[in-house]
Amino acid sequence: MAEGPTILPLSFKNFSHKAQELISIAPAEQLSPSNPVRESVNTYVQLAGIESGSGYFAPNVPSGYTLVFELHYRDGRVEYELPTVRSAAAELRIAGLLDDIGRTPYDELREILLKTLAQSIWRKHPELQSVRAILGSLTLPSVREFEQGKRESYEFLYAYDFSLQNASAKKNDH
Amino acid sequence: MRVKTRVAEFLFPIETDSWLTVLRLGLGLQVTLYALSLRTDWAYLFSGTARKVAEALLSLQGHFIPSLGWFVALAARLDVPEETVLLLAWLGLFVSGCALLVGVGCRFSAIAAWVLHLCAAKSGGFLSYGMDNFMTIGLFYLMLSPLPDRLSLDWRLRNLRPKNPQLLGFWRRVLQLHLCIIYFFSGLTKWLGSGWWDGSNVWRALIRPPFNVIDPEILVRWKDFLPLAGILVCLLESGYPFFIWSSRTRKIWLLGVCAMHLLIGVAMRMYLFSLVMIVLNVAAFGPDLFRRKRQPIMLQPEAATS
Repeated sequence: MAEGPTILPLSFKNFSHKAQELISIAPAEQLSPSNPVRESVNTYVQLAGIESGSGYFAPNVPSGYTLVFELHYRDGRVEYELPTVRSAAAELRIAGLLDDIGRTPYDELREILLKTLAQSIWRKHPELQSVRAILGSLTLPSVREFEQGKRESYEFLYAYDFSLQNASAKKNDH
Repeated sequence: MRVKTRVAEFLFPIETDSWLTVLRLGLGLQVTLYALSLRTDWAYLFSGTARKVAEALLSLQGHFIPSLGWFVALAARLDVPEETVLLLAWLGLFVSGCALLVGVGCRFSAIAAWVLHLCAAKSGGFLSYGMDNFMTIGLFYLMLSPLPDRLSLDWRLRNLRPKNPQLLGFWRRVLQLHLCIIYFFSGLTKWLGSGWWDGSNVWRALIRPPFNVIDPEILVRWKDFLPLAGILVCLLESGYPFFIWSSRTRKIWLLGVCAMHLLIGVAMRMYLFSLVMIVLNVAAFGPDLFRRKRQPIMLQPEAATS
């Protein structure tokens, strides 16, 4: 609620942020990472599966993210590929992973996760010279917009270039 | 003193093990289907850098949270490759799910299923979602509950009996209270969201990839029902702790919530998520509604055999 639009006045957002801080004190988040109390609480909530609340798309359904790989072959060919998995169950998980990649404020983490996905492309196409991972955010139309002919659209967010020569990727922002 | 007695009566009611049968069978099916659904992608999802990053971040939370990395590291000392460990973990999960279904080695199977699923969920890290949390919650309670139940093979063939049958009521109560908290806050937050009143969040949830099973052209024809669906979801969830306890409204609320999860499962391809929610709901509040009156288990602790 501290992040998303709600029916409450904007001033409530400050309250939500304060409440969020208070809640984070409760599970000993303010203690040092090595503190045994903090570690015990964190371990218990992880073991019991209660480390995060599940809101079932509350307060709002977020927009999704999409990832496209641009495959550059040694002979100059360029092809495009989406991250693929075999089962529908894994597809749901990849969608969740893309949401995490899109939402994380940490560049390094985003790069590592994209690199992991790019590695699987590399294993599939060992003859590639480089891979560009292009991350975009998905904008969904409203019912009215859909009736007027508007469809889902993608906005470019980041592109990371991976090659066998360079260990770290080159990042291009929008 | 009277309050204390009433609280104790509320937390430790005399209970049959019907709910535990539902929980064991349901979670056994859930674990088995979970393993089968990820069979072809298991090695891809849980090997490599993503797992290591997730486990490194997990270690910041605590050093005693199990992960697949524990087994991989242990096996590496014995020159057993990562792929073999992952295969064994998958196999262990599948077998423990099947064992729970038939009720063989109930306690051990519940612990094994909980540990292995937890390892996968934690090592999956970024690949985990709400369903994994609910599976962990369910398996955590199942593992702690007084197993075996009367319909298990452990009871019927091996003549095993629970050590602490007086805790049957307690663990069911914990599960009931937990569900009430989850639904109440989920419903409350939805009421406060801007898109549940006008149905736009229902629309967005149904057209958002990879949940877009129903053609938006069909959904548009039913657009007038979207606000009603949104409000109904909020009502079912936020009203859960108020209407699920009364015997007058319990049946309608439980059926409503289960129907909601069933529709979500079918319309958004979230079959396993729906199944685990229905299992938890039916185990927590269902057995009283649909079963014949049974004698509660009244074993004395000293009379119990393991």
